[in-house]
Amino acid sequence: MNKLLLKLNLTAIAVSLVYSSPACTQESPSTNKAARVRITQGPEIERADPDFAIIRWTSNNPGGSPEHYGVVRYGTDPTKLNQTAKSPIRLNPGHSYTIFRVRMDGLKPRTTYYYTVDSTEADGKGDRVKSSVKHFSTP
Amino acid sequence: MNRGTLTITISLLVLCTIALCITLAARKVSGRNSEAQTSAQAYNPYPAGILPSDLNPEIERVRRELRVLEGRALARWRALKPPILTGQPPTLQNTGTEAVETLGELMNYDQNISPNRNQACSFCHMPYAGFSGPIPSVNLTMIAYPGTVHFRAGKRTAQRYTYSPFFPVLQYNQVQGLFFGGNFFDSRSTGYLLRNADAEQAQHPPVDTQEMGFPDTACVALRLSQAEYRPLFEQVWGKGSFDIKFPPETERICDTPGGAAVFGGSATPIPLTPEDGTRANTVYNHWGQSIDAYEQSVQVSPFTSKFDAFLKGNYKLTADEMAGLKLFDGKGNCNSCHLDGRGTTLKSGQTDTSAAAAVNPLLTCFGSANEGLPLNPRNAIYYQTTPDSFGFTANPLGFGYRDLGLGTFLRSGPGSAPNPNSTWTQFAPSTDGQMQVSTARNAAMTPPQCPTTEAPGPYFQKEFFHNGYIKSLKQLVHFYNTRDKYKYNVTSGHCPAGTTEKVDCWPMPEVPNNIDMTSGNLGMTDKEEDQIVAFLQTLTDGYTTPYPNRDTFTGTCMTGGSAKTQGNDFLIPTPQLPPCASAICGVQPVPKPAIP
Repeated sequence: MNKLLLKLNLTAIAVSLVYSSPACTQESPSTNKAARVRITQGPEIERADPDFAIIRWTSNNPGGSPEHYGVVRYGTDPTKLNQTAKSPIRLNPGHSYTIFRVRMDGLKPRTTYYYTVDSTEADGKGDRVKSSVKHFSTP
Repeated sequence: MNRGTLTITISLLVLCTIALCITLAARKVSGRNSEAQTSAQAYNPYPAGILPSDLNPEIERVRRELRVLEGRALARWRALKPPILTGQPPTLQNTGTEAVETLGELMNYDQNISPNRNQACSFCHMPYAGFSGPIPSVNLTMIAYPGTVHFRAGKRTAQRYTYSPFFPVLQYNQVQGLFFGGNFFDSRSTGYLLRNADAEQAQHPPVDTQEMGFPDTACVALRLSQAEYRPLFEQVWGKGSFDIKFPPETERICDTPGGAAVFGGSATPIPLTPEDGTRANTVYNHWGQSIDAYEQSVQVSPFTSKFDAFLKGNYKLTADEMAGLKLFDGKGNCNSCHLDGRGTTLKSGQTDTSAAAAVNPLLTCFGSANEGLPLNPRNAIYYQTTPDSFGFTANPLGFGYRDLGLGTFLRSGPGSAPNPNSTWTQFAPSTDGQMQVSTARNAAMTPPQCPTTEAPGPYFQKEFFHNGYIKSLKQLVHFYNTRDKYKYNVTSGHCPAGTTEKVDCWPMPEVPNNIDMTSGNLGMTDKEEDQIVAFLQTLTDGYTTPYPNRDTFTGTCMTGGSAKTQGNDFLIPTPQLPPCASAICGVQPVPKPAIP
């Protein structure tokens, strides 16, 4: 019990130090990484047009750099996801989750696309949350 | 003296007097011509309606207001107790801080720092607009402000320079993989030499061809050497500051705007010796540093808003303001980049009891983002495709111009500045379209008699984002909230029948690459948008103490209409766009994917 209290105290001190530093406050502080980063909702289609789509999903906090990229690998053959779309988002250090949204341009009308999603830090380092293969069709 | 000699002497005196009178009269007429060049010799390549009909009187109004502000600054200087230079290193004891800040203030309002002596820095940055654009009709129409040569104009809105001194020197953080800092929307003022991005920012407009327009940085030294406040400059920066032997042709050169064909592309047409060139450069550096001192002072960046009082515990946010703050931190996700220093994210029903993480949050992350603004066809830059009377053409690319922001700067591209760090160039494709995240502070500042930016008012018409496409804070929040929900594959002015642009139709982005997806479909209600606007209005300085010089607006407030559709009467159809010009999109490393 005492050990637990000590840990909680140390955590509280560490968090307060992070938040009390003006430099951290102004230059996008890093976000704490969840013990196991995973997709908690989605991925799902937010919008699908004949030539355009947005895919969104939510993960618990991936941590790391303030800017992340949502990454969608897709194709018309579920075994050949040879195209990539990625969009930047900003992590919010005050949030316990992150909503990723990725724009997909240049799609073909009335076509079924297969895709998986992942996310990376700004330098390309993956968050290892790759989803199973899903699909959607453009109108 | 005999009678003949006397007659000759008197005759000569009379002739001299007549000649002097003629010369003085000619000078007076010449001066008036300079004032009246706006209408007589104006460069006007614009189709009807791009320039606002009240442009000339509005320019003169702002110039009158500038003279009031300069008068106040002169009075401040004259009332200043001289500092004492003492100590080691030598320091201007007691009033040194106020001396350099006042010097910067005097410079900021000095209309002599332009070839036609008709434009000061603050012409585009007046206090009552939070040091952004002071002419409502320009904010509604041509977006960029006319420069010393009427009517050359730039390409972007006049960025507020409150809190700009707090931005660090531009840095690429290798660990984070991100750029931080710099000044200007495209961060081109890096601060690489002065180690001060804001001081370097102040150095750009005096030699920007479409702004104050000197052809040579040494012209700043020349005009400062003639300024009424030269003694203050010498007191702050040293007696020998102006020991520069300017060649006889210097005046003529500095009376001619930059970009004139007569200069043959030279950036240093004044033939100074290397020693005098160095002295002139030193004056030019001190120009930037003095203005930075003013901009960082409580005259410009005082941290006196309601939100600052709230952080101190001296102001209780109203229900709507508090709801707006919760949304700003929560559902709106605004503080993922407009950092407000708060430590928690509140859930429904919770009360914010957290200690403030910072007492002076700047409401920016010093980063850059592409928010996907549509191309604004009203922007004056697209129409300046033919040479003016000096042989200068601002934009030969016409509508082939695309504003890639930070990406163009990293490529040292047209309309930006040379990139001083070639190791950054590789990052251009991942920064195309990105513009600096401005502080949200003072976005809502207006003159006291027009107390809001929002219709029906009475309101002061501002313009938002780099290209002025957005005309009210309501529209700004609605854009973040619904950009992707109401996305249409059209350009501005072509929303489908049955939709209303900026309400339930957002045209395609000018730069489709690197669009930030943190926002765009936030699911906020109309009321929640209004609450964020209410919170943004708490960020206006002047609550705890009056904001200096906010009282100088002598123009007219606007009334009527709705903030949702504010300015929509001035929408014009975007013409068929040619491809992005190769001078912009064909420069290595080229944008990926290619920009249409």
